[in-house]
Amino acid sequence: MKLKTIHSLMFAAGMAVATLASAQAPAAAPSAVPAIPPTWAQGRTADGMNPSLAPNPPGISALPADEIPVSKLKVPAGFKIELWASGMPNGRSMTESPSGTVYVGTRFTGNVYAVVTKDGKREVKTIAKGLHRPNGVAFANGSLYVAELSRIIRYDNIEKNLDNPPAPVVVFDALPKDEPHGWKFMTLSPDGQYLYFQIGTPANIVVPPYTHAAIVRLNLKTNILEYVATGVRNSVGMDFQKGTKELWFTNNGRDWADENLPNDTLNRLSRPKGMNFGYPFCHQGDFLDPEFGKGRSCDEFDKPEMKLGAHVAALGMRFYNGNMFPAEYKGNIFIAEHGSWNKTKKSGYQVVRVVLDGKNKPVKLEPFITGWVEGENFWGRPVDVQVLKDGSMLVSDDETGAIFRVSYGK
Amino acid sequence: MKLMTSTKAILVVAFFNIPFLSFNAGAAPPDAAAGKVKAQSCFACHGENGIGISPEIPNLAAQPPLSITYQLIQFRGQQRNGGAMAALAAGLSDQDMRDIAAYYAALPPPPAKPGNAEKIAKGQQISSTQYCNSCHGAQLQGQKHIARLAGQSPEYVMTQLKNIRSGTRIDMDGTMGSAARGLSDDDIEALAAYAASLN
Repeated sequence: MKLKTIHSLMFAAGMAVATLASAQAPAAAPSAVPAIPPTWAQGRTADGMNPSLAPNPPGISALPADEIPVSKLKVPAGFKIELWASGMPNGRSMTESPSGTVYVGTRFTGNVYAVVTKDGKREVKTIAKGLHRPNGVAFANGSLYVAELSRIIRYDNIEKNLDNPPAPVVVFDALPKDEPHGWKFMTLSPDGQYLYFQIGTPANIVVPPYTHAAIVRLNLKTNILEYVATGVRNSVGMDFQKGTKELWFTNNGRDWADENLPNDTLNRLSRPKGMNFGYPFCHQGDFLDPEFGKGRSCDEFDKPEMKLGAHVAALGMRFYNGNMFPAEYKGNIFIAEHGSWNKTKKSGYQVVRVVLDGKNKPVKLEPFITGWVEGENFWGRPVDVQVLKDGSMLVSDDETGAIFRVSYGK
Repeated sequence: MKLMTSTKAILVVAFFNIPFLSFNAGAAPPDAAAGKVKAQSCFACHGENGIGISPEIPNLAAQPPLSITYQLIQFRGQQRNGGAMAALAAGLSDQDMRDIAAYYAALPPPPAKPGNAEKIAKGQQISSTQYCNSCHGAQLQGQKHIARLAGQSPEYVMTQLKNIRSGTRIDMDGTMGSAARGLSDDDIEALAAYAASLN
C-alpha cells in the first residue's frame, strides 16, 4: 500500500515536470514533410512515443545473495523455492551437462558461467568473458556450444578445464550481425545431430530479409545450416517433446499494435520443415497485422498451439520430464515470462505452467511461480527454466543475476 | 524564475526516483555523500560540479543515476571503451558506482549552451522525426538508464553518435544503432547543438 502511494506521488511529480517541460519547450519547427519513422520505430504509434514506455533497464549486475528477496517468490502448496546460485550478472539461458554442471549464457555482459555443485554448495565460475551476446548454450559430446550474436563457438573438453577454459573453436560464423533480436536461444536435437536456434527479425515489425524471422538448425557433422520454420518473429525458448520428438517453441509478438494484442505464443513444429507462422503478416494465428496484413489472410499461415498473453515476453520453456514433481506435472510445459515493458500495466514477470491433454493439446495455462513484480515495480525477471536430473527445476533471473531452484516434497 | 522551478521539480523527481529505479530492489540505498568521497578521482576530468573540463569529456551533472551506473558497469566489463575509464572503473564495486551516480545525479544540470539558431532548429526537427524524446525524455533530460542529453557537451555527443553509428561504441539493444545509422555528419552536429541548447 505504502509503495503504491509513493508511486502515485512519483507519477504526479513526473507529470508536473512533464507539464513544466512542455510549457518551456520552444515552438516546434514547421515540418515540411511528414516524418518517416526510423526502422527501430516502425509500427510504433503516437501513444507508443510516450517516454514512460521506454525499455526497462536491462539487468547487468548481480545482487549479493543476502540481498535477493527469494521469500517474495510464491509457488503452489507442497513446492519449495530457494536461492540456488548467485553472482552471475545478466545470467540467462541454461543447460545441464551429463556430469551436472549448469552452464549459463548472457546477453549484455558477454560472460558465460559454469555452476558446479561441491559438497552441496554451489560454486560459480566465469568461463568466458568478452563474447558478443553469448545468450545460447548447449552441451554435446563433451563440448559446450555457445551461440553468440553472429556465430556458434565450441569449448572442447570443458568439464575438466573449468578453471582454465580452452580457447573456443569457431564452428559457424556466417550468421547475420543485426543487433535487434540477434541474441539466440539454442538447443540440441534429441539425436544429437543438430543445434536448433532462431534468427530473430531485425526490428519490431518489418518485412524481414528471408534469412531472418526463422528457426534454423546447424548440422554438427556437415556444418550445413537449414531453415526449419519461417514467420517466427523472435523465439527465445524451445525444447523437444519426449516421445514425439517435436520441437515446441515460444514466440514474442510484435509491439505497439495494442496494449493487449497480439499475444506471445507457444508453437509446435508438426512438420520438420516448411511451416510459416505468419510474421509479419499475421500474428498469434488470427490477428492480421494492421499495416503489413493488408491483402493477406491468416489462413495462409500455420497456427500457434496456445496464446500466452500480450507483451508477457515468453522466453525460456521446457517440458517437465522429471520424477520429483507430482504425477500431474509430468509432460507439462513451464515457460519463463520475462515481463512487459511497453505496456502501461505490467504483465508477465512469472513462470507459468501449461497442461496438455491426452491429444497433446495445451488446455490449461496457470501461474506457477509469481512474486517478481509488486504493483508496477519489479525486482527480478525470469528468463529460462531448466529441469535438473534430480527432477527439481531451475529458474534464471537476469535482473538479480541469480538462479532459483523449485523442488517438491522435501 | 521558470528555470528555477523546473530545476527544483526535476530534483524532486530525481529524489523520489532513486530508490525505485535503482537496478536492484534489495541493494543498499545509494549514498550521495559517500559518493562524493568516492568520486574524488572523477573530479579531475568531470569536475566536482559534474561539468567536464574539456569538450570531449561528458557532463555528468543531473544525469539519471542509472545512466551513470550502466556506463560504469560497461567500462568495468570493457564492453565500452573510453580512454582511462576502463582502468578507473575496474576498482569500483556496484555500491561505489551507485553512490557516485547518486552524487552526480543530484547536482544542478549543466547550463544551456547557446549556439547557431538555425542549427539548433534543425537539430530539434531531427530529434522530433527520430523520436529521440520517446526514450531520452521530453526535454532530452534522460530517464531510467537512458542518458541526459540536455546541456551535454556538443563535441562529446557528436563523437558518441558517430561511434554508435560506426559500431565502435557498443549498442545496448540495437535501437541506438538503428537511430544513428540514418544520420549524416551534419545531422549529428545539429542534434548535438540542439541537445546542448537545452537545460
